[in-house]
Amino acid sequence: MDPRAWRRFRKNKGAIVGALLVLFVTLTAFLGPLAAPKDPDLQYSEGLDATTGLPVAANAQFRMGADQLGRDELSRLLHGGRVSMQVAFGATALAVFVGLAIGVATGFFGGVFDTATMRLVDVLLSMPFLLIVIVINQVFDSPSLAVLYVLLGLLSWTTLARVTRAKTMQVRELEFVQAARALGMSRSRIVVRHVLPNVIQPAIILGSTLVAQIIIVESAMSFLGLGVRPPTSSWGTMLHDGVGFISNAPRLVLLPGALIVAAVFGFNLLGEGLRDALDPKS
Amino acid sequence: MLTVIGRRSLWAIPVLFVIQTSVFLLLNALGDPAVAQLGPRASAAQLQNWRHQHGTDRPLGTRYLEYMGGLVHGDMGVSHQESRRSVTDVLETRLPRTALLGAMAIVIEVVLGLLLGVIAAVRRNTLVDTGVMGVAILGISAPTFVTGLLFLNILAFRFGWFPVGGYGVDAMDHLRHALLPAFTLAITGIATYARVMRAEMLETLRSDYIRTARAKGLSEFRTVVVHAVRNALLPVVTLVGLSLPIIVSGAIISEAIYAWPGLGRLAVESITSRDDPVVMGVVLLSSLGVVIGNLFADIGVAALDPRVRTDG
Repeated sequence: MDPRAWRRFRKNKGAIVGALLVLFVTLTAFLGPLAAPKDPDLQYSEGLDATTGLPVAANAQFRMGADQLGRDELSRLLHGGRVSMQVAFGATALAVFVGLAIGVATGFFGGVFDTATMRLVDVLLSMPFLLIVIVINQVFDSPSLAVLYVLLGLLSWTTLARVTRAKTMQVRELEFVQAARALGMSRSRIVVRHVLPNVIQPAIILGSTLVAQIIIVESAMSFLGLGVRPPTSSWGTMLHDGVGFISNAPRLVLLPGALIVAAVFGFNLLGEGLRDALDPKS
Repeated sequence: MLTVIGRRSLWAIPVLFVIQTSVFLLLNALGDPAVAQLGPRASAAQLQNWRHQHGTDRPLGTRYLEYMGGLVHGDMGVSHQESRRSVTDVLETRLPRTALLGAMAIVIEVVLGLLLGVIAAVRRNTLVDTGVMGVAILGISAPTFVTGLLFLNILAFRFGWFPVGGYGVDAMDHLRHALLPAFTLAITGIATYARVMRAEMLETLRSDYIRTARAKGLSEFRTVVVHAVRNALLPVVTLVGLSLPIIVSGAIISEAIYAWPGLGRLAVESITSRDDPVVMGVVLLSSLGVVIGNLFADIGVAALDPRVRTDG
């Protein structure tokens, strides 16, 4: 990376806060399961109050209290994050890959393929996103995480493809690309050596915001009970389960909610910081 | 200008057609609504009987042509529910309720968003500015269901300032019940408008005519409100179209939290019970909302930027 960009990034407080939040949430999500004190799916009779049947508050055994089924809330939070992040990263990786490939191909080669693809992008951008994702996810009966992130990935590449396409068309006309062509460089080599390095920056910036958006969509779906299906649970599912206890045990909603907000906030700040650092003109 | 509007509106027809066809194929080619409707314990004969009764045992092609043919005449089929109400009828009860939430949300987000944006711009690089913008990006990051649950818990349960969900009994009561769900729906918009308005204002405040206004001795308030805000307003207001897609998605969440019986609730209910004709109807209305929103945004951009008009 350009050292000046790195300096701009370091001086940006928002970007640093974002990066730290992202680091915190990602570490929680991927190392959390190792640190979880208990089995997240095991129900403890001590977790529920003997007289009221309500989940117990934080104590020595359950450091963040128990949930509505007497499971250890802390362990569930640590495990749930992995599901949320796995979906977000998986879907974003897929969306960035598809978006880059389609953006570069349409921008570089143009023609009928370009027109047809851009029409498809128009259609995808006219969809009521959340509704369609829920419908498709519900149609697949198998409760698989893979379905969810392939689905989210395949529907989220549109903006990135548009931006990449515009940038590619711009780069294609620059002198050094024409020079490379005049020197007899093959088209695939031009794409890899000259076009890709120039479109990768917007992809990184958009990718960071995309992670945030996908975390929102996944947890919204799970919150509605139409996303990740039991026994697998994400922060969104925990929120869904906690709603019934919002007045008795608000922490069942507040804890997963705070983690979702931290994750989304972090990725948004990071995305903005990256944009300010890499693309100071905008 | 009119050609741009005309062309963009016509383009909406194939877009809606493609969406509707894809969803129809998805719903009908995969999974069986009979099982979802009758439950896993239904016998094979019961299932067969249900399929026959609701016509889902006929070939896919026939059903598709029948559905699309009906759609052209405004007939969206009949709900799979016991009541066998027509989909148009179901949508007619639900749509106005969601429209009320949406309209209130748009008013709230435009008014509050612009106000916050102006304040941040006028007090730029002060604590007020940083505070407002920090809250704004937090507002964009906090998903509707988190803010909604917080409001529900604090403003409705703890303080009792608002009713705890539901629809109410008469017109005034509906409005009272709509306030919190509409405000929840507006959060993202408030944050977005505040950010855009701040940027527009900062640019306007730097322009020459503002310096002239100040130089001729106008009060700061008059300069800002009469001269700057008026010019910064236009580009921001053209963005209102873009709120529509957000409201379409947001309504699903907000209505779920506050038990508001609108289209969003209908979406979740019909998807869970595999009431496919109703799902198709909700998808059609929602796509229409998104398309209209995008159309308004495009028209707004075209109205402001003459280059777009000719490129169209």
